[in-house]
Amino acid sequence: MFDVEKVRKDFPILKRKIHGHDLVYLDSGATSQKPESVLKAMDDYYRNTNANIHRGVYELSVESTRLVDEARKKIADFIGARTEEVIFTRNASESLNLVMYSWGKKNITKGDAVLVTRLEHHSNFVPWQVLCKEKYGSFRVVDVDSEGRLDMESFERLTADGKVKLFALTGASNAIGTLPDIKKLVEKVKSNNKDVVVVLDASQMVPHMKVIVSKLPVDFVAFSGHKMLGPTGTGVLWGKKDILLKMEPFLYGGDMIGEVGMISTTWGDLPNKFEAGTPDIAGIIGLGAAVDYLEELGMDNVRQHEKELMKYAMEKMMTLQDEDLVTVYGPRDAEERGGALAFNVVGVHPHDAAQILDSFGIAVRSGQHCAAPLVTSFGVPAMVRATFYVYNTREEIDYLIEKIREVPKVFA
Amino acid sequence: MSDYKDIIIDHYKNPRNFGELDNADISMDEANASCGDMIQIQVKMGNGMIEEMRWRGVGCAISTAAASMLSEKIVGMNKADLEKFGEAGIIEMLGGEVNAGRMKCATLAYRGLLKIFNNE
Repeated sequence: MFDVEKVRKDFPILKRKIHGHDLVYLDSGATSQKPESVLKAMDDYYRNTNANIHRGVYELSVESTRLVDEARKKIADFIGARTEEVIFTRNASESLNLVMYSWGKKNITKGDAVLVTRLEHHSNFVPWQVLCKEKYGSFRVVDVDSEGRLDMESFERLTADGKVKLFALTGASNAIGTLPDIKKLVEKVKSNNKDVVVVLDASQMVPHMKVIVSKLPVDFVAFSGHKMLGPTGTGVLWGKKDILLKMEPFLYGGDMIGEVGMISTTWGDLPNKFEAGTPDIAGIIGLGAAVDYLEELGMDNVRQHEKELMKYAMEKMMTLQDEDLVTVYGPRDAEERGGALAFNVVGVHPHDAAQILDSFGIAVRSGQHCAAPLVTSFGVPAMVRATFYVYNTREEIDYLIEKIREVPKVFA
Repeated sequence: MSDYKDIIIDHYKNPRNFGELDNADISMDEANASCGDMIQIQVKMGNGMIEEMRWRGVGCAISTAAASMLSEKIVGMNKADLEKFGEAGIIEMLGGEVNAGRMKCATLAYRGLLKIFNNE
């Protein structure tokens, strides 16, 4: 059974007071909090094992290398991948840029189209926009409907000519929670060009639900470690081995080479070819511990817990909407959405709303959530966003709702 | 709620010098990319000094109140005066306290105004 009170005890930061109130942390979509086990794994590494990997024959280096290898294996098992297909990066943005630089620049040429959706985080939007500008490619953006679901008519129109060579999509919108039907969309885009390469931004999926990459009809999957209880500075790119083998490195330097000669150099094997320089060793070990923690909870339980929270929060928010106190954005049905709840308090700018909520100890995000094309499609400059995770409770949602009622009073 | 002093609420609800100038010498726009706030500022100049300022835009209480208060404060200022005013002047004008996360809101209009002289 999923015991949220037990989970909360594992997160030291939840004991903090903010402006004299208990912290109600509702911004896990930006970065999650870290459990004791993750902090301890990193601390232990620095205290007892610290040495560079793949460098020495001495004991500490051997142990460090083994810890990084073990972490990679844990992550590979967690997402149903082969270890050599798991590449460590700094974050999902870097993972997506790696694909753009190493695959995109070589394969996208004049006349090719890159398809993205209006749901994308800037990190899965801007790299492709820049690539198309540079290569004279056609940059196409699938529109959304009034509830923030993908507009299938727009999708059909943009894919009909079969020119789409790369399709980059999010598996779960970071701003409004939409969960696109990945299989259906990929099937459709491939019906016009069977060779389309598909890049999935799973930053808001992998932390929240079971993701088995080998079962998804995609070629690359990018996600961040710090949104899934791991430390900042860690991200992952998974890629299909046959594509990764054909790609050139992204960054050059230490640890990624085969043989270095005076005239030319060969590249190391996967995944080292894509991991130049000393990686964030402690971070990777911490991410391994985060995966252990999530495996212990069970990803199906995590998804169930969040779905129940979302359903509960949505009902309460709808009451506020009926009272004309808030406007809620995104799909109404909890089945159709991840753990992001976007709203505005009527007549109050989201920055003001977020600051007033902060004065009660509630941490919510305000702004465009790095998804300006999506947020502005709703006719507003910005939104407030609450995101839920394993340590959030119904009581916290009750408290949020109670304090949202206080917000307009400041300006009354 | 230390940031929302009465004077801020007053300027937010009744913004001063909101609108357009018929005979503006300079117009400029400034935006906060991360939050979508936008402001258009128009000024009338005389002898290198700001004689009048009008502004309009969408923004939060802090950026709106700051623009409104600034539109009164900067009358008679030249380039050196405006530069000297600085972020410290903005904070003082808003009552001595601005949450660090809101400084971009507080300085939106000010950053726009600085462009007047930079564009000359």
